[in-house]
Amino acid sequence: MSIEAQCVIAVASGKGGTGKTTIAANLAVILSSSDSVCLADLDVEAPDCLGYFQHAIPIGQPENVEILVPFATSSHCEACSFCTKLCRFGAIVAIGGVVTIDTKLCKGCGLCVMACPQGILEEKPLKIGEASTFIEGSITIVEGRMNVGDIRSTSVIEAAKTKASLQKTKYQIRDCPPGVSCPATHALAGSDYAILVAEPTPFSLHDLGGAIRLCKSLSLPCGVIINKDGFGNADIETLCKNLNVPVLTRLSYGQDRAVQGARGVLWDQDDETSKNLKGVLLNIKNQFQQKNDPRETPSERLEAIL
Amino acid sequence: MTTICIASGKGGAGKTSFAAALASSMGQKCIFADCDVDAANGAIALGSQNTNKQPYFSGPGFFINKSACTGCGLCERTCRFNAITKEPGSQALKITQELCERCGACAHVCKFNAVQLTEQQAGWLMESQTIRGFPMVHAELEPGEDTSGKLVALVRQKARAMAMDDKLIIVDAPAGIGCPVIASLTGADLLFVIVEASLSGIRDAERLIELANNMKRPMTGIVNKAGLDSDIDAQARNLLKRNGIELLAQIRFDPSLRAVEERDKTWAELEGQSGDEIRAVLQAVKSRITKLDKNGSKHENSNT
Repeated sequence: MSIEAQCVIAVASGKGGTGKTTIAANLAVILSSSDSVCLADLDVEAPDCLGYFQHAIPIGQPENVEILVPFATSSHCEACSFCTKLCRFGAIVAIGGVVTIDTKLCKGCGLCVMACPQGILEEKPLKIGEASTFIEGSITIVEGRMNVGDIRSTSVIEAAKTKASLQKTKYQIRDCPPGVSCPATHALAGSDYAILVAEPTPFSLHDLGGAIRLCKSLSLPCGVIINKDGFGNADIETLCKNLNVPVLTRLSYGQDRAVQGARGVLWDQDDETSKNLKGVLLNIKNQFQQKNDPRETPSERLEAIL
Repeated sequence: MTTICIASGKGGAGKTSFAAALASSMGQKCIFADCDVDAANGAIALGSQNTNKQPYFSGPGFFINKSACTGCGLCERTCRFNAITKEPGSQALKITQELCERCGACAHVCKFNAVQLTEQQAGWLMESQTIRGFPMVHAELEPGEDTSGKLVALVRQKARAMAMDDKLIIVDAPAGIGCPVIASLTGADLLFVIVEASLSGIRDAERLIELANNMKRPMTGIVNKAGLDSDIDAQARNLLKRNGIELLAQIRFDPSLRAVEERDKTWAELEGQSGDEIRAVLQAVKSRITKLDKNGSKHENSNT
């Protein structure tokens, strides 16, 4: 289900704070030297990609992400409670002819509207977040941003994915949310390859296992970058070996890295790390070739990376 | 009973490490509720032995029975989440479970009863005894499952049911500001906002503070990983200040805090200067909680 003519690489992790956003931003910078690339910030609860691009210029107005929520058009509700029984989110209650709708819980599926025998339910759009486009140099950045207090992150993620695919860039790098539940799943779905960023700590080791299982359940090929190498001594490598997932590279850790991380500084001045990440992209390409992936498009698309 | 919640917005800000250190220093007076159900690390941080494990069911999922499906496509057109597509090489349609929101619209419109409900286990709800003498409630969500908010609510409820009147419930919240975070904040008497002293940490904490303000949760602030850039430290403190949140403590960026986890210790058991600094922070946190007990500013009724 890859998006047409775009090679999509998702950067995810399981545990938060392992370096997903930093690595996603740096991969986008490396790709941008030779090709068109869109960096899609799908961590819509805590979007931080733009922090790496101080000179990014907004393109157009932010697009509202909306879902359709029901409202009652008349007071002639006969309290059959079909809507109440059918709604699986507890968002609509019809008692004594009064329809009460909790638009915060509604997922906008439209089922109550279809089911109402009196036909008194209609729908109106409700804004749950924004999807915005920015440009810095040759990088396009699409940011999904969920409204504070909302719980429908997956709809914002899907809207940002659509917007990113419309950029028609050759590559798309996705910065995914942490965890292994619905937001991470939606962010990963439809990508061609997942780079999982781990750090050598017991927490990250545990959460990486979940992230690898998630990729496998999505039939998504993945590889691991061990970030902050030397920061701890949890054995990420053995886990990867046992689960048959390649370690793509190790990025060493130092106090200077921690300072750069705090300031949101790219690694483009660091030749060795840039070379390392270029190698990662090449490695991904090789994996596609080795496996003789039936989806011809990703391997063809990755062909041109280096 | 008092419930405190530890959250940060950003992942990796130090929530679990801080929560585990606090729990360890409270000892038998507390119950640890690990509400980060899709990246649950509390049991690792505290060292624990599982005592009770129950399967968690999140509610039925929807599947299309291939032999009953005529491929009419009505469900595909009805689904607003693009979760239904043609099965390759078949007439029948297929529901992509990872995209399905489980609304049931497809089952409602199908004229051939081809959409079936199947209940599948979505994870585990667990009770454990930590090696530090207090119990913990935690959970594991199956990768790819939704309804993590519901599982968080179960973790909190179980911790409440186990807690005696004089106990402190320590809720370790997940990253972000979404459904499971809202479920973690619900019922908390005090929220400890961990602000990572980084630009992204400040931005993400700001969104968390906005959420907690909307939910009318009292807050207190802890700046973590300070000392890398004094200007950014000042910005982190300023975030708390302009939101009227007290700065309870500041924790220095210190690689030895990380190293301690490798040896099955929490920050509270660290030796030397780093340990002394952390224990001073924990003392301040404990006095803040004691103050809360005395004031009795509880939110017992807002438990949904």
